[in-house]
Amino acid sequence: MTAKKPSRLSYLTTGIIKENPTLILMIGLCPTLATTTSAGDALGMSAAASFVLILSNVVISLVRKVVQPSIRIPIFIIIISTFVTIIDYALQAYQPSLYRVLGVFVPLIVVNCIILGRAEAFAYGHGVFDSFLDGLGNSLGFTLLLVVMGSVREFFAVGTIFGKVVTPAWYRSAPLLFMIFPPGAFFLIGILKALVVKFKLGK
Amino acid sequence: MNSKSWMVISLLITCLLAAFALSEVYAVTKPKVEQQKNDATKLALSQVLSSAQTFKEVEKDSLWEGLDQSGAKVGIVVRSGRRGYGGPVPVLVGLDLTGRIVGIKVASAAEGLRETPGLGLKATDEPFWKQFLGADSTVALKKDGGTIDAISGATITSRAVARGVAEAIRKYAEHLKP
Repeated sequence: MTAKKPSRLSYLTTGIIKENPTLILMIGLCPTLATTTSAGDALGMSAAASFVLILSNVVISLVRKVVQPSIRIPIFIIIISTFVTIIDYALQAYQPSLYRVLGVFVPLIVVNCIILGRAEAFAYGHGVFDSFLDGLGNSLGFTLLLVVMGSVREFFAVGTIFGKVVTPAWYRSAPLLFMIFPPGAFFLIGILKALVVKFKLGK
Repeated sequence: MNSKSWMVISLLITCLLAAFALSEVYAVTKPKVEQQKNDATKLALSQVLSSAQTFKEVEKDSLWEGLDQSGAKVGIVVRSGRRGYGGPVPVLVGLDLTGRIVGIKVASAAEGLRETPGLGLKATDEPFWKQFLGADSTVALKKDGGTIDAISGATITSRAVARGVAEAIRKYAEHLKP
């Protein structure tokens, strides 16, 4: 029992920093680049993706013993797309303004590499609780990066974070507008990746 | 059970369960989704024609008659969408019975406007759209021989709004003339 505890905790923590899905494994870049134009939108996108990731991990882990390897991918995709459609309907009904901003990226969660990646690499071979922890950890890692990117881009391009004014008026009259455009996203993720590499090599 | 038939059956069960779950969620959320759409439309309509209490849809998603409390017609709201830089620029124009523009609303980014942030998106700012109040069907940008100041750096968006407004006025005339 004592040996099991730290490994369980590590299921949760590896996804956050050490194997951060987006920054280290470089998967799921599409939504990371496209939906981080503001901190609020980034948080909305990560919440939707996290919902799908955690629940699909749990369900796939539940059914893993009866799913034959040769048809596992279609079954994973059906499970994942069911949760995506549920969150799609829910956003339309309860968060219409967020839904309009995220637009096509909500249905595209179906093909988010992180979710199928976790299903395939983890949930298909681990128990329900461990899969839940793994899903939660990866969700937190994804959310962390998205919110950081959204905040930085919003800060430079609009002068606000989560819609709150944090820069003087002279800055907001001539902000670094390009950060909100796609090149700004590539620029920022390049810098973040470079920092990670430097940090890792430095150790 | 052999493995081939279990393959088929397990896939079938998964699909059935998924379909069942989705139809339940759909049934729960559908009225709410419809209501959200109606609320959003109603709010936008009353912003451009504040004298009206209720709105009657004459042409789906493009023409409404505004009615006051007694049910008398007080004006018309037209939606038009001319092509801008990133897609159609949806404009709601409210006109009173004399054909004067009393309100105009350019859809915000959250409502589907796909113009460039910082440039074309400024079409939703008051200094720009206010110029259209009281305009007639000859409305155009200064560059095109009219009186409207275009947003600097966003001529295409500005032109789309101006043409959308002109189109709305023409549509209004067509609607009133039987």
